[in-house]
Amino acid sequence: MHREGRAAAQGGVAACPSLIGWQGCLPQEGRTIPYDQPQMTAPAASAAQRARGKARLGARLRNGRTAISDLHMSGSAKLLFPRPKDALQAVYLNSSGGVTGGDAFEVEAYAEPGAHLVMTTQAAERVYRALPAETGRVETRLTLGAGARLDWLPQETILFEGGALDRRLSIDMAGDARLTACEALVFGRHAMGEVLHDLRLRDRIDLRIDGRLAFADRLHLQDDAAGTLAHPAIANGAGAVATVIHAAPGAATLRDPLREMLPETAGLSALSAELLVLRVVSVDGYTLRGHLAPVLRRLSGAELPRPWMI
Amino acid sequence: MTTGTPTTTMTTDAALTLHQLFSPAFPVGAFAYSHGLETAVQAGQVADAAALQGWLEAALRHGAGWSDALLLAQAAQGADADMLSELGLALSPSAERRLETEQQGRAFAATVSAVWELEIPPSPYPVAVGLAVQALALPLDEALRLYLQAFAANLAGAGVRLIPLGQTDGQRVVQALAPLCAELAERALGAELDDLGGFAPLIDIASQRHDMLYSRLFRS
Repeated sequence: MHREGRAAAQGGVAACPSLIGWQGCLPQEGRTIPYDQPQMTAPAASAAQRARGKARLGARLRNGRTAISDLHMSGSAKLLFPRPKDALQAVYLNSSGGVTGGDAFEVEAYAEPGAHLVMTTQAAERVYRALPAETGRVETRLTLGAGARLDWLPQETILFEGGALDRRLSIDMAGDARLTACEALVFGRHAMGEVLHDLRLRDRIDLRIDGRLAFADRLHLQDDAAGTLAHPAIANGAGAVATVIHAAPGAATLRDPLREMLPETAGLSALSAELLVLRVVSVDGYTLRGHLAPVLRRLSGAELPRPWMI
Repeated sequence: MTTGTPTTTMTTDAALTLHQLFSPAFPVGAFAYSHGLETAVQAGQVADAAALQGWLEAALRHGAGWSDALLLAQAAQGADADMLSELGLALSPSAERRLETEQQGRAFAATVSAVWELEIPPSPYPVAVGLAVQALALPLDEALRLYLQAFAANLAGAGVRLIPLGQTDGQRVVQALAPLCAELAERALGAELDDLGGFAPLIDIASQRHDMLYSRLFRS
């Protein structure tokens, strides 16, 4: 029942008749997905109920617009495509409704030379209580060809008490490509008074530019996350963090204008002329969105993808 | 010395070499870097000895202390030095933290190479130290403890100047952190590369904001 319960809790998506006809299966115009809709914390799934999902997407420039050149979906990983603009927008959806121990998801996307791909998620990903020996795994690989552009803008990942997540984001890009990537984590839902004393989180980011490792992030937070977050030198009681990476020729010129948008709990540095890294901590997921939205709008030069709208 | 400790079988020469390498007089220029502490002090977040100790504890356990110890151990144990060097630089969350590890590592490698007639390539500081430990056949457990204590002592010194605190308070902080340095050193000895990582976002953010300060004593 847990699986069904998770899918039904996803709201709106479970009612979708078929994901094959991906054009017609989207939130309606003007509809908003609350980032934090109340729902039950699903209990740990048994071994027999592990979710698997794989999605692969290729984007190619064709007559000035970006179109799908490759598409594969299996298991609980779905990709939806809102009506096309010049960029190709893909909305990832985990139809199992969350990640728990033993689950495994893989997402692979590549923007061919000159293509522009925008990726987001249908809803905030939820990481539910796992059995002690089990961990949910999520692996994402993004590739950007020469002159390509990829905006990786998933909604936040919400971690629940007992959650265990091992996640890896690997990005390989050409030096003249343009990347904006954001990963946001919310440690329990602040408004619901949730506090995490039992968490296992490993989150890795590797960014390679022309084959060279330009940035690596290794987040490792274990056990009493609330205690660590409460430390004044670590997060000072904040419940949400995010890392934003922007890599593009001349990226560093955006450092000062972006800094003007940041709260005091955020920092932004130009690691090189082509690479900006931003970290922010916020009291909760809602505040974090407020901190991120202007930065991401500025970096992408566009409104945030529709599923983000609050 | 320490004849009762099973993990340490250091000759006098090795002990003296290690103390030379981690002495504040060894010309790596550590005194010029605050690792973002200057930002935290100016913001009023670190205003006394207790807060300084808490900040350093976080940097050691959840920040660069642990990551450096692991990189040092991996380099000393023979892991691919080019891979570790690339990773060591890529892990820096800010330009100034990158400079901090790059410049100290470069100076350390150059001095060790010249004095002991070795060829230690310019590498991020912990990787350069690990390569030297391997090349000079120095005891890794002791090198890790001393590296971490030097890291703590250098930043405690920065805190003493910035807050400001008395020298005695600064030394009390270093002394209080000794067990943590020993604990992390022991863990790093048996750790794998995938154990790399931590979580200290406000320390990263402090280093990212350091170049925005109106007046600065330190380079990071």
